[in-house]
Amino acid sequence: MIRRVLPHDLGRGLLTRRPGTRRGGFSLDWDGKVSEIKKKIKSILPGRSCDLLQDTSHLPPEHSDVVIVGGGVLGLSVAYWLKKLESRRGAIRVLVVERDHTYSQASTGLSVGGICQQFSLPENIQLSLFSASFLRNINEYLAVVDAPPLDLRFSPSGYLLLASEKDAAAMESNVKVQRQVGAKISLMSPDQLRNKFPWINTEGVALASYGMEDEGWFDPWCLLQGLRRKVQSLGVLFCQGEVTRFVSSSQRMLTTDDKAVVLKRIHKVHVKMDCSLEYQPVECAIVVNAAGAWSAQIAALAGIGEGPPGTLQGTKLPVEPRKRQCKPCPHLSLQQEEPDPANLEVDHDFFQDNVWPHLALRIPAFETLKVQSAWAGYYDYNTFDQNGVVGPHPLVANMYFATGFSGHGLQQAPGVGRAVAEMILKGRFQTIDLSPFLFTRFYLGEKIQENNII
Amino acid sequence: MLKLIIPTIMLLPLTWLSKTHMIWINTTTHSLIISSIPLLFLNQTNSNLYSYSLLFSSDPLSTPLLMLTTWLLPLMIMASQHHLSNEPPSRKKLYLTMLISLQISLIMTFTATELIMFYILFETTLIPTLVIITRWGNQPERLNAGTYFLFYTLVGSLPLLIALIHTYNTLGSLNIVLLTLTARELTDSWSNSLMWLAYTMAFMVKMPLYGLHLWLPKAHVEAPIAGSMVLAAVLLKLGGYGMMRLIPILNPLTKHMAYPFIMLSLWGMIMTSSICLRQTDLKSLIAYSSVSHMALVVAAILIQTPWSFTGATTLMIAHGLTSSLLFCLANSNYERTHSRIMILSQGLQTLLPLMALWWLLASLTNLALPPTINLLGELSVLMAMFSWSNITILLTGLNMLITTLYSLYMFTTTQRGTPTHHTNNMKPSFTRENTLMLMHLSPILLLSLNPSIIAGFAY
Repeated sequence: MIRRVLPHDLGRGLLTRRPGTRRGGFSLDWDGKVSEIKKKIKSILPGRSCDLLQDTSHLPPEHSDVVIVGGGVLGLSVAYWLKKLESRRGAIRVLVVERDHTYSQASTGLSVGGICQQFSLPENIQLSLFSASFLRNINEYLAVVDAPPLDLRFSPSGYLLLASEKDAAAMESNVKVQRQVGAKISLMSPDQLRNKFPWINTEGVALASYGMEDEGWFDPWCLLQGLRRKVQSLGVLFCQGEVTRFVSSSQRMLTTDDKAVVLKRIHKVHVKMDCSLEYQPVECAIVVNAAGAWSAQIAALAGIGEGPPGTLQGTKLPVEPRKRQCKPCPHLSLQQEEPDPANLEVDHDFFQDNVWPHLALRIPAFETLKVQSAWAGYYDYNTFDQNGVVGPHPLVANMYFATGFSGHGLQQAPGVGRAVAEMILKGRFQTIDLSPFLFTRFYLGEKIQENNII
Repeated sequence: MLKLIIPTIMLLPLTWLSKTHMIWINTTTHSLIISSIPLLFLNQTNSNLYSYSLLFSSDPLSTPLLMLTTWLLPLMIMASQHHLSNEPPSRKKLYLTMLISLQISLIMTFTATELIMFYILFETTLIPTLVIITRWGNQPERLNAGTYFLFYTLVGSLPLLIALIHTYNTLGSLNIVLLTLTARELTDSWSNSLMWLAYTMAFMVKMPLYGLHLWLPKAHVEAPIAGSMVLAAVLLKLGGYGMMRLIPILNPLTKHMAYPFIMLSLWGMIMTSSICLRQTDLKSLIAYSSVSHMALVVAAILIQTPWSFTGATTLMIAHGLTSSLLFCLANSNYERTHSRIMILSQGLQTLLPLMALWWLLASLTNLALPPTINLLGELSVLMAMFSWSNITILLTGLNMLITTLYSLYMFTTTQRGTPTHHTNNMKPSFTRENTLMLMHLSPILLLSLNPSIIAGFAY
């Protein structure tokens, strides 16, 4: 870069740096020049990375085999399992691109951190069971040399679900499925419930199910930091930036019944740096979309959903951010209306109007409840059937999804990470079969309805 | 010899004056025609040297290498077409200029009669290769790779210059023919030992010998496809060729001085083959397998028996073609998946069956399957080493086993297995790629019918 030195600016002094000048070069003082020369000499010597012309240490590498968009718990879990399941150490180069290193709006950090196995789909139960065993043995999974062990503060206190007369049969069949898969759930009649929890008003309750083991809550921030630390020690690269573009190539092909489809392949990912126009094209073989509430944007960048509606070409990724508010007390989520997801401001009236009446009815002691503090976070809400999207996209061959879990992403993250890593490395799901969660169900219209949405 | 050099020099104006859509066609066709000229040198009645002029000559050692070099240029040009397709025409022409100037210096190197001319052209080949690696490589590590490549080779070859000039002063001439007739014996003394080292170090680094091989994995992996092809196929053989030219004048000191290097090469063979078993990066695996094969050539040249010389020349030609073929296959994989990792492109046999055939044949020639020339070379070297010392058969036999293991590992990882989802829309093999593989394989398969052409002057 050639900077023209204007003669009438000499009055500013030689030591002050003018705004807009790059570091290095003509505007440095003597000590600065000496250290620049020393840095350049050191970079020529073998063993150092050669950045003679431009300092690119803040940019991501030019090539990475797998790029994971989104550095929350799902993205880090995929990175962790990719590194764990690769057959030789150091085989795959993984890059995790995260827009916000403070995780100020990420669903992981703002999550309540609950884990429960009381779902109706066997896949969901299997995922939560695996996650529970992962969390119990977290210091074996995520051990890093010379680092202190993780304290997840897992309180296995269990989830209690109450059912009225008309839902009792559904609850009983759900518990049967859960027990078949291996969760330990106990069914209680209203009398047993009153014995166990005398402070509950059992009016209108026909059946209750309570998780005896592996259910409760933990510290999601600790899990995130533990995963981050372990994944960095395994050699995954982190980059703070935003994915702004996918450079891809497409091919028009015919299906077996002679319909034209356009198959796409992503070649490069443009990662834009924070607060600047600088971007780095990262050449990659596989892109994993773990962007949480903003996954639909990433999918739209790859051209998913651009086509006539009703075709596979035109099926969009139906994930959108929905705001949920949390108070640090056991909360009931009965959403009659949706709060506005534009920002994460907490609407205090929402609690008073919608949540408190139900709480006061069920637990008489809560009639004098006052909210001390509250926070809000986003769900990566799947508007189709509120369950996650896992696996490859049928048309964009090298984009894999791990998103859309609508509130139970954190508790299913270890299992989902392993499933996506198996899909990438081995071509099929090996341990937990998540084929009902593939993208094609949006096109085929097969909703997998989960009855116990929390 | 000018009938070969002048057309190659004229390839330069051909690239610059061609129309944009004719660059590839013109250069490929003309270099293919030029590759038929060294066939004229094959019929040699005098096994000493077939002299064309004061400067250039060819003998049964340099002719096969010359044929390899000229055959490889059209193949390099064909292989580079895809990754240069997005560049502006002047940059494409510049790339071709680099390849052609490298070709000119290589032809003159292999046919040089005078050793100082050989030395100058030996150094000249470094510059276009460096430009190709650092300018057109893919990763930012290519700058590091270029530095390693340049400085290893330069530091190794500067003592060679001093040794050659000293020999010129004492003997009066550095003509290859006269050298063997007038050379004085190198008796056992410290300064003669240093002289011996000065002569051989340059070529040991180029081959490469196991302890000095660090530049090779870097340079091969970071170079673009044509760079990898020429590096693996021809530039490594420069080391072998130079050593075979100079070894006759280094007697009888070689009997003592060769021991550490033979040991290094035997041990290095096994070490680098074992590293191949642990590699995940495809190009890195092929680079280390090059080191392993060339270690056999080093050991063969140092023991100086007729069969070992035969084996060394045969192995050099065979390895040149096989290694170049493997790099082309790895590149065809890379262009489709943009990743050099083997496990990310598995199960390709169901997607690209014809390419799987080329992969199979390449892996089979790499593991020295009978009756290919790879086997003839390795077997000759093995037997010569066994008669030189019985124990070496353990190491060389173990090396053949490990070579088989990693060649088949490479084949089964890339071709067999379940294809993953992200490989399902790979473009089918281009005719250009199939032609490239066939043109690599047909010399290997045809030469197994008459290997005496490439068997060198000791056959």
